[in-house]
Amino acid sequence: MKLNKRIGLTLGLLLIILAGPAWAKEKVQVAFIGPLTGGVSAIGVGGRNSADLAVRLRNADPKAKYEYELVVLDDECKPNTGVQVATKAAADKKIIAAAAHYCSVVALAGVDVYHKFGLPIVVWGAVHPDITYGNDYKEIHRVNGTMINQNEVAAKFVKELGYKTWVNLYDTTDYGKGMNEYFSKYLTANGGKILGSFGVTADQQDFTAELTQAKKLDPDVIWFGGLTPLGVRIRLQMEKLGLTSQFQSCSGIISDAYVTGTGELAEGTIAFREGEPVEHLPGGKWFMEEYNKAGYSEAPDAFGPFAFVAMNLILDTIEEVGPKRKAVVKRMENIKDYKSIVGAVTFDEHGQNISPAITKYVVQDGQWVPWQDSEYAAGKRQLKRR
Amino acid sequence: MSEPSRTHASLLPSVAAVLAGAVYMVFFLAGESQMVVFGLLVGAVLALAAFKHWRVLDAVGQSARDHQGPFSIVVVAAVAAVCLYFYDDAFVLFLLGTVLVYVLTCLGLNIQFGFVGVMNFAGASFFGVGCYTAAVLTKHTALPHLLIIVLGGLLAALLGFVILIPVLKTRGHYAALVTIAFALLFKTFLEVNDTLGGPQGLKAAGLNLFGWDVGRDIAIGDFEGSFYLGYIAVILLLAILGFIMARRMEDSWIGLNMDAVRLDETVSACFGQSIPRWKITAFTIGNFYCGVAGAFYAMMLGYIAPTNFTFGDSLILLSIVILGGLGSLWGTVVATGIVIIIPEKFQVLQEYRFLLFSALVIAILLFRPQGLLPRPLRGYRTLKSLPGKS
Repeated sequence: MKLNKRIGLTLGLLLIILAGPAWAKEKVQVAFIGPLTGGVSAIGVGGRNSADLAVRLRNADPKAKYEYELVVLDDECKPNTGVQVATKAAADKKIIAAAAHYCSVVALAGVDVYHKFGLPIVVWGAVHPDITYGNDYKEIHRVNGTMINQNEVAAKFVKELGYKTWVNLYDTTDYGKGMNEYFSKYLTANGGKILGSFGVTADQQDFTAELTQAKKLDPDVIWFGGLTPLGVRIRLQMEKLGLTSQFQSCSGIISDAYVTGTGELAEGTIAFREGEPVEHLPGGKWFMEEYNKAGYSEAPDAFGPFAFVAMNLILDTIEEVGPKRKAVVKRMENIKDYKSIVGAVTFDEHGQNISPAITKYVVQDGQWVPWQDSEYAAGKRQLKRR
Repeated sequence: MSEPSRTHASLLPSVAAVLAGAVYMVFFLAGESQMVVFGLLVGAVLALAAFKHWRVLDAVGQSARDHQGPFSIVVVAAVAAVCLYFYDDAFVLFLLGTVLVYVLTCLGLNIQFGFVGVMNFAGASFFGVGCYTAAVLTKHTALPHLLIIVLGGLLAALLGFVILIPVLKTRGHYAALVTIAFALLFKTFLEVNDTLGGPQGLKAAGLNLFGWDVGRDIAIGDFEGSFYLGYIAVILLLAILGFIMARRMEDSWIGLNMDAVRLDETVSACFGQSIPRWKITAFTIGNFYCGVAGAFYAMMLGYIAPTNFTFGDSLILLSIVILGGLGSLWGTVVATGIVIIIPEKFQVLQEYRFLLFSALVIAILLFRPQGLLPRPLRGYRTLKSLPGKS
């Protein structure tokens, strides 16, 4: 990785020396902020690579007006470090805009700083609604959906499948709790009945107590709001206790690790994620190809495409209005139908992308398959209890 | 120990050392590129090794010890000068402010661990009590913010009483285990407690002193500085107060008794010392420091969440104390600077930065197992030997 960088740097320098006109290009700094160390670093590093790819492709483009330099900062998924790096990026006048944050707490802590110093940012992963809707800051934008969108779609969809009763499990982090709040809200609004709801800690190993109670309540569906490690344990222990309910979860468990962790039991698990499946979009395949070509040693992970889009949106805006923070903020106020690899992006007055597509996924033969492409939708296979 | 016959060292070496340190800090903080940062780090290590070899460091240390008062004033002036140099660089000022907050916290832990030997693995939790006190009180009451900072300290001290009995009843590792349990409990409590913001945390209002909104940029005449200068002024004052209090305590009979308790509980009990008394004193005062620092930090940061107060954060606080040298107040100051600033300067390394940072800390402890500035032997100064009294 480091060697690659050095070779890249040397080649880049040579290129600059050889290509005379390149000297004429003005240098513009943009930042990427995400968790590069700690528990969710895989997603942060994937996002970093994707943002880096956006910058590289732009610099390789002879039509680009500026030469971009990516400043990468690690927020550790901790609010205090987040405020620190947010201050660093925002107080540095050379940085024009940033693609920032996967963790909701960090983003919530950072928005005030960005507003104070007037740095436009595009959130690429954090899902908490308040990041955009909790304030009137013009500097804050987001390309991914909030947990509201995801759960609205999820609740409607499962109700239409004909399920009537649920038992909810969620981890007591901001993610799990928020998921539970919105899913319950939309489920009840759609007429679903929640028989019981249990919070579990994010590192809990044994769910016998919760699942035994759930078995007594005998719901059609066990819903889980949280991340992969817990999702795996719950699915395995459901089987051990003989629960025959359908298992439904959220974007947090959509990963290859879930399928490998649960093996055959994964079959038929349903979950939801913002964004259309990358491979379905015209640009999606191209993104994966370019990503592989660039030779990053880590996968883009679930939110890489969003980081790519966030960074690309920033670069496009700078190309259009020039490297000035105020101009970028003003331009981003009316982004409409911006074509991207995660679908069209349209910001509302809070800077929230209001057209994020939500994709429904189901596990079929060890793969996360979009619902509409699956044999379940075609009626060849059946989910449980239908 | 200062022998009565020895003449006092000159003040000059220590002043020169502080000045050199200040100039170095300016270069280090202003350095942006990877090369500059690494060059400065390697340079510092080599220079320190060379100075040690030529016994320059001993002269500096002796000079600082003989002129504690003037030396401290010079250090404060140097810190203020560095802050003023970066008067409009919000980020560097924020970083320096964070360092001062952690200095105050670690001074508290040093009183507990260094003076009396009570290992507190819940430093970040008591710090968090201060943070949450500030966040809640600034939001729901109109109490003056200075009072809230003090209340943050008091509440942290009060909460410390919860684990006081188990800490007193146990010794060594077992007492440490009690505090670890408290740290874990505290974080879980915050996460499930929705009135305190749950896992999402809380917004905290900025500091406002007697109508002066510290969160506004400073403009005096032609001078325009970042608002963080105001925060730094306040926390610098708090840190100085904390330092003076700790130093006075160490020099007085209280410190002497605390040393006795730490070194041998049985013997000091035989000599009529009340072990619980000194443990309670140190534990409570230390937690008070943590709480005060936390309350201020919440106001400066503007947003707090339980993930700031994990067991891991407590470990970092303790490692600062150990890195600086147990019981050594100046050591704590230097170590805090290293632990807070260097990982930040390593941001260019992205995901590898903590790897290198940890290696650095291990290396320091390998070559200086007693800490960067080990606590010197107690100087039994009589009134007569004090400068100006002879």
